[in-house]
Amino acid sequence: MALNRERIGVSYPPYRYEVSREKIREYASALGESDPRYYSDGDDCIAPPTFAACATVIKGGASLFADPDLGAHVVLVHGEQGFEFGDRPLQPGDVLTCTPRIADIVYKGRNELLTLELDCRHADGSLAVRGTGTIVFLGSAPEQAA
Amino acid sequence: MSEVTVGTELPTFTQKAELATSIAYAAASGDLNPLHWDPAFAANVSPTGGVIAHGMYAMGLASRLVTSWAGDPAKVAEVRVRFTKPWPLGETATFGGTVTAVEGGIATVEVWATREDGEATVKGTARVRL
Repeated sequence: MALNRERIGVSYPPYRYEVSREKIREYASALGESDPRYYSDGDDCIAPPTFAACATVIKGGASLFADPDLGAHVVLVHGEQGFEFGDRPLQPGDVLTCTPRIADIVYKGRNELLTLELDCRHADGSLAVRGTGTIVFLGSAPEQAA
Repeated sequence: MSEVTVGTELPTFTQKAELATSIAYAAASGDLNPLHWDPAFAANVSPTGGVIAHGMYAMGLASRLVTSWAGDPAKVAEVRVRFTKPWPLGETATFGGTVTAVEGGIATVEVWATREDGEATVKGTARVRL
């Protein structure tokens, strides 16, 4: 069954993501990063840019599956991902408010491409990171769209 | 960074995708999809018939290429990639990049990771503040 295109433009309830020093370390280590700031105990500790994935990809995707009116299914692949960053890297103690929004759903052959935007803001309202992910739902586009 | 001009090449590196790297990335990112660590599960659903690395792992390494070159992660304004082909465990990918534009204090860098067969597993762009 095809995704419900009437859900284009819908925003889901914001969720909270708290950046922790140990999670930054774990993430940096998984990528083989050597920049000492990723492992620092001090105020200079920062996160690698794609640490933003921890706050956005799975948690944001979960919003889609929690939407009973969308019709998301698990036969999918990750097509594209982008991150635009605010004025500074994420740091331990940052508390982000992340709002998922369905920016678009288009057909490509028998697949459906859903663009999910994640707007993550610091407590003062400034942009921390904006994630844009394209999820490819395989085989569910209507026949006539092929 | 020394002077950055169109055509400047970023220092490349290689990474082998292994079960250990995949499990570490799954735990760190929270993406526990068994496609990235369970051969029995992957046999039924994987495009290659086997376990493949997370696309986001390849994106993270492409971003590492850029931050290592830029010298400061704070300079990275944007990273964007397409996941073009799966990266099977056991295969080594080569990460590279080249500067394609320098304008208004921002360098646009094309980045990629190439599999052993020469096909790209990710392709994308980064925007770096100079």
